[in-house]
Amino acid sequence: MNTEAIIFMALSWGSIVTLLIFSYYRMFRKK
Amino acid sequence: MAGQREHWGSKLGVILAVAGSAVGLGNFLRYPAKMALNGGGAFMIPYLIAFLLLGIPLMWMEWTLGRMGGQRGFGTATSIFASVTRNSMVARILGAIGIMGPFIILVYYTFIESWTLAYAYFAFTGKLTTMGDQEGMKAFLSGYQGLVANEHFSGIWTAYIFFTITFLLNFYFIYRGIQGGIEKLSRIGMPILLILAVLLVIRTLSLGTPDPAQPELSITNALNFIYTPDLASLGNAKVWLEAAGQIFFTLSIGMGVIIAYASYLKKDDDVVLSGLSAASTNEFCEVVLGGSVVIPAAFVFLGAAGTMEVAKSGLFNIGFVTMPLIFGKIPLGALFAGVWFLLLFIAGITSSVSMVQPAMSFMQDELKVSRKKATGILGLIAFLACQPAIFFLGHGFVDELDFWGGTVFLVLFATVETIIFGWVIGIEKAWEEMHQGADIRIPSAYKFIIKYVTPLYLFAILGAWSYQQFIPTILMEGVAEADKPYIWGARLLVFGGLAAIIALTMYAARWMKNDRSAGGAA
Repeated sequence: MNTEAIIFMALSWGSIVTLLIFSYYRMFRKK
Repeated sequence: MAGQREHWGSKLGVILAVAGSAVGLGNFLRYPAKMALNGGGAFMIPYLIAFLLLGIPLMWMEWTLGRMGGQRGFGTATSIFASVTRNSMVARILGAIGIMGPFIILVYYTFIESWTLAYAYFAFTGKLTTMGDQEGMKAFLSGYQGLVANEHFSGIWTAYIFFTITFLLNFYFIYRGIQGGIEKLSRIGMPILLILAVLLVIRTLSLGTPDPAQPELSITNALNFIYTPDLASLGNAKVWLEAAGQIFFTLSIGMGVIIAYASYLKKDDDVVLSGLSAASTNEFCEVVLGGSVVIPAAFVFLGAAGTMEVAKSGLFNIGFVTMPLIFGKIPLGALFAGVWFLLLFIAGITSSVSMVQPAMSFMQDELKVSRKKATGILGLIAFLACQPAIFFLGHGFVDELDFWGGTVFLVLFATVETIIFGWVIGIEKAWEEMHQGADIRIPSAYKFIIKYVTPLYLFAILGAWSYQQFIPTILMEGVAEADKPYIWGARLLVFGGLAAIIALTMYAARWMKNDRSAGGAA
């Protein structure tokens, strides 16, 4: 894969997965 | 009389129900096509900006307004908007959009959803992956839709049977109620959906280079094709409009369904983290899973030019023509085609049940009809309203319903609720309301975003979109003369239904006022 594609894919997936992990981690940590 | 309002059984249950409502056919069909056609990786910039400035704020607003309404005994925007605007009739009338909008979408969505059930059946029984070429697959779809009689189907009746099954399934879950129907469906359906989607993503990303004679058609080049940004596209207003539109469609915001779902929360149930969890679940299903099936699979078999053609060919063509053909070219293709359509069916049904809920809440809370009766009455009305969508599919009837229910009403409703939330209730009071029982605190920058940025963003969308699409569509530019009566029929259905809801909500408001006065006198 070319560098530009890797950067945009990593940013897209990374931001969404980070948000997902953060929200579910905070939700289950409380319990 | 309707009994006490129901509540969700668990926090995860309501999150999965809202996520189930949001994750629909669009996540797996509409998003990848929009991305491919609007700058590839560069599309993610306006998309993520719209998510941060429109999607998340509107999600929080709708969760909060819904919970506020639930405390006052309402689950629909009509009474909620009226109750926070000192019983403004205008606000009540505008709130009717939040009942009629999703109902219009339901009318055609259920029919399309039933195709996925039928195609799953055809795939698992091996009928689908033997069509051979694109023309054969298109003929199969046209025959199934009843648009032509051919060697595959002599009429629409197979489609009608699958539609009836799908419709009854939807109303079965509605009949079972919030906890026993919708929550149970979401708790079972969403994990299955995730497993099926992950299975398809793994299969797609492990396609490698299917044809060694064409080494450029590899999955690595497919990902290059999707994510290499065309930064010049960011100068095109259409790309920003498409990205904002996709955020609306995908998160089920501006419809009134999240308001209805959130009205079944308890007073101190969190809305901030729950809203964020539901939104992030939907985004994961869209960006990570939805973006990794259709376009990469199309690229390795059809190449860049062929994939662009597919993306331009419309959602029905992508889902029901191209994908079965692609699955026909891989080992165990019938099985994977079945998994694909089953995935779409689950995504569809968890969305369609949510589209009925605002109307159900309206009947139960405002018209004081019992759940059993409301299911029967709404089921009958919806079943009758679906008939023209089924039989007039080829005459632009569904496109017209989609224009009003799936576009105009969404943006209009979102604009109204943003103004009511940030300006009528007032951002300070609204902020306090949002944080009641909240598990996390919202960054204070969102005070400014909710009050100024989100409404301005919405006005910009409304303006640009009115200029580009609204006027030409209203004037029926490019519509064949023979199809115009069907378009008028669709408009009659939309505005007749809206007028009926407005009349009913005004009657209910008067009746409730009299009821309160009588109670007070007693």
